[in-house]
Amino acid sequence: MLGPDITWYLVVSAILFSVGALGVLLRRSPLIVLLSVEIMLNGANLALIAFSRLHGESDGQVFAITVMAVAASEVVVGLGLIVAMSRRNLALDVDRLNSLRG
Amino acid sequence: MTSVYASWITLLSPLAAAVAITLGGTAISRRAAGVVATTGTSVAFAAAVVAFIDILGEDPERRSHLDTAWTWLGAGKFDAGLAILVDPLSIFMMLVVSGVGSLIVGYSIGYMDGDDEERRYFAYMALFVFSMLLLVQGGNLLLLLAGWGLVGLSSYLLIGFHHERPSAIAAAKKAFIMNAFGDATFALALFLLIAHTGSVSFGALEEVTGAGSTVTNLIALGLLGGAVAKSAQLPLHTWLPDAMEGPTPVSALIHAATMVTAGVYLIVRLHSIFEAADVVQDFAAILGAATLLVAGLIALVQTDIKRVIAYSTMSQIGYMFVGVGLGAYANGMFHLLTHAFFKALLFLAAGVIIHALAGEQDMRRMGGLRRLMPFTYWCFLIGSLALVGIPPFAGFFSKDSILAASLDRGTLGAILVVVGLAGTFLTGAYTFRMLYLVFHGSRSAYATEHHLDDGHEGPLTMLVPVGALAVLSVIGGWIQFAPFWTPVSDFLAPVAEPLAEASNWMEVVASVAAVALGLAGILVAWAIYDARRWRAPRWTAARRALEEKLYWDRLYDRIFYSPAVWLARATLRWFERPVIAGSAVGIGVGARESGEIASEVQTGYLRAYALALAAGLAILVLVFVSVR
Amino acid sequence: MIAGSAGNVVVWGVWFVAAFACLGSALAVVSFANPFFSALALIGNLASLAVLYLLLNAEFVAAAQVLVYAGAVMVMFLFVVAYLGGEADAPWAGGPSWQVVGAIAAAAAILVEIVVVIGVAAGDGLSNEGDISSAFGSPAEIGRLFLTDHLLAFEVTSIVLLAAAVGGVILGHHSRRVDDPAVGGRG
Repeated sequence: MLGPDITWYLVVSAILFSVGALGVLLRRSPLIVLLSVEIMLNGANLALIAFSRLHGESDGQVFAITVMAVAASEVVVGLGLIVAMSRRNLALDVDRLNSLRG
Repeated sequence: MTSVYASWITLLSPLAAAVAITLGGTAISRRAAGVVATTGTSVAFAAAVVAFIDILGEDPERRSHLDTAWTWLGAGKFDAGLAILVDPLSIFMMLVVSGVGSLIVGYSIGYMDGDDEERRYFAYMALFVFSMLLLVQGGNLLLLLAGWGLVGLSSYLLIGFHHERPSAIAAAKKAFIMNAFGDATFALALFLLIAHTGSVSFGALEEVTGAGSTVTNLIALGLLGGAVAKSAQLPLHTWLPDAMEGPTPVSALIHAATMVTAGVYLIVRLHSIFEAADVVQDFAAILGAATLLVAGLIALVQTDIKRVIAYSTMSQIGYMFVGVGLGAYANGMFHLLTHAFFKALLFLAAGVIIHALAGEQDMRRMGGLRRLMPFTYWCFLIGSLALVGIPPFAGFFSKDSILAASLDRGTLGAILVVVGLAGTFLTGAYTFRMLYLVFHGSRSAYATEHHLDDGHEGPLTMLVPVGALAVLSVIGGWIQFAPFWTPVSDFLAPVAEPLAEASNWMEVVASVAAVALGLAGILVAWAIYDARRWRAPRWTAARRALEEKLYWDRLYDRIFYSPAVWLARATLRWFERPVIAGSAVGIGVGARESGEIASEVQTGYLRAYALALAAGLAILVLVFVSVR
Repeated sequence: MIAGSAGNVVVWGVWFVAAFACLGSALAVVSFANPFFSALALIGNLASLAVLYLLLNAEFVAAAQVLVYAGAVMVMFLFVVAYLGGEADAPWAGGPSWQVVGAIAAAAAILVEIVVVIGVAAGDGLSNEGDISSAFGSPAEIGRLFLTDHLLAFEVTSIVLLAAAVGGVILGHHSRRVDDPAVGGRG
């Protein structure tokens, strides 16, 4: 194979995942949180594609496409939630949404 | 055979009466309850007579029948059936219990008339008669113990009958607890017996004598403990005077004629083991003699008429214990019979007085009742003479035969005869002190005020049994006049061979001495209380000691009651409240508080939840990677 | 760096550009205050990822990434951001201090662990790339796999998409009490 080994791709995927996790944990705007979740999903996709190339089987790519479809569905619902929140004049701030407090 | 069937009827008809009264509840009238109870016990008596006649027709050597209804408890090789034993001894006791019992239950119809809880009374009385019959008819030790416990229960229920009186409740508890101590020693003896022979039949008692003298002595001692508690002998005697809180017919039936004599019956029935453990049997006789003396002394200073009679009972049972303790079984049982007559008579006559004086029992407030209640007076006099043992009344024949038999028993017997004779003097003194205080002298102010002066002394239902018992006290002793005719001894001999045979001169000596001392006691009482020639001796220290019942109650209070109360209070304070109640509360409080702490995790703060997810993921990856 | 043929150098160069673009845009997504810029940065991220996929011979997936992800999903995102307006507040502010510390610690831990695992496994299994046929990564191959080996995943995914569509409609439904001041976030 030309270019870097699979390991380089896997490291990129790991960094993507971590950056996405940081975004989820440290940002207060739900939109940005959703975007960070997308980054994490893409990191996972990259790992799947890399392993698929390693083993020479296309199953990893099939899995990656499935992930993409699910991610799309999730974004639909998440954005719907955010729009509904803003329509009810709720603050778009995850810290302020704590009515599940026990 | 007829005697067996009749015996089952005797046993079950009082039970049927008790059940009928209980189920009838308030649907039957109060008087009807009394009639039902009396009928039940009378039927029992009639059946007992039938059984008696039938068994007389049998050969004396083959008069013992054990009839088992069904196996009650079976476990491995252990087998205890629901069985009754029909033999001369049990028929003897059946006749006494049901006969005297039906007279007293009939008397109660008049005595308890008007009481709100009359039905409960008669149910308890019928239950008691059944329990006592179960005790004497029980075909094995387990049933005997069952009857034993049931009579204790009935006694408790009846002593505490007037439950609104705290003194009655306390007396009932005291009686029950002291009896429970005896029951415990009895049960321990049974356990030993079962451990060594695996059976509770009466035959097992003869088997176990082969197991060595320690075991035999322990078993006999345990059985004696039960007998001593039930018969109110020293040292378990303090409950009997307090038991006078119960209604007078209860005192007559339970605490004079029947229950307290159960100990005597027990020793006769189980004589084989007592003979094997002869130390214990001698000990029983010694206890009897000590009780006889102590009770006689305390009776001299009592002011309550029922208590005098109660101590007298204690004393007379002491005589019976001396008799059976020395092996004169038939003599002891004969005294049991005559004692039932005249003691019940005394109690019931006292009941007539108490009833007439609207509940007063203090002799100092009575006096001169001789003219007011002549019938009662004459019956009471007959009973007193029978008690002291003056011929031709009943007590003479039975008591003196015990003393005579004791003379045949060596040194111990001789000492006990001296004690017994001293007791006879005391009996004469306290009995006639009571008679003179109540009936002679001038009529007390109280009697004049409170006497229900409507012509007759009491209702007929009360006077008839008193009269019947008076007749029995006159003629009842004549059924055995040793050495001339001895049907009682002959009847009971196959069951329990006597260990002592009094020769003719012993009989004469004993009789003369006893009668003389009895008359001396009567004379002293007459001089002090009737003719007022002498003053009652001051002897303050002795008097106070006797009034305190020789400090037995104080002693028991110090040894048993106070430590128990202290322990109960300490346990309440240091264990019950903090640990048990505290843990119950603590569990609730702890659950709530831990819940409150746990709920602190639910902050509703979304990012914290996400952080928990991420941290968990990091840890899990670590775990999976390291644990390859 | 293994310097080989010219093709290898080109591939390495493309890889570096794509990788750094990917990581840089990812960092941009999480750091910009304005959500609009974050969304645009994500588009860049997706595009560079498509390049990386191409380098891994996954042509169909790369195409799907650009068409579906960058084309459809991100456009939806941009619509919503435009509708909502972006707040330009301080992105890293707010929350208790332990949140920041814990977040950095957790993310760092995950990263370190994965890198360690890769490093340990590198050389063993991760060096032997399999041979691939010319059909590898082609639509025909993906389609065949979807309809034979992974049919269940295919069907279930369609249901998930249906659920998402229904959910979107319901969430967007106009309810009566839109302005409900009582339903608000407590501080």
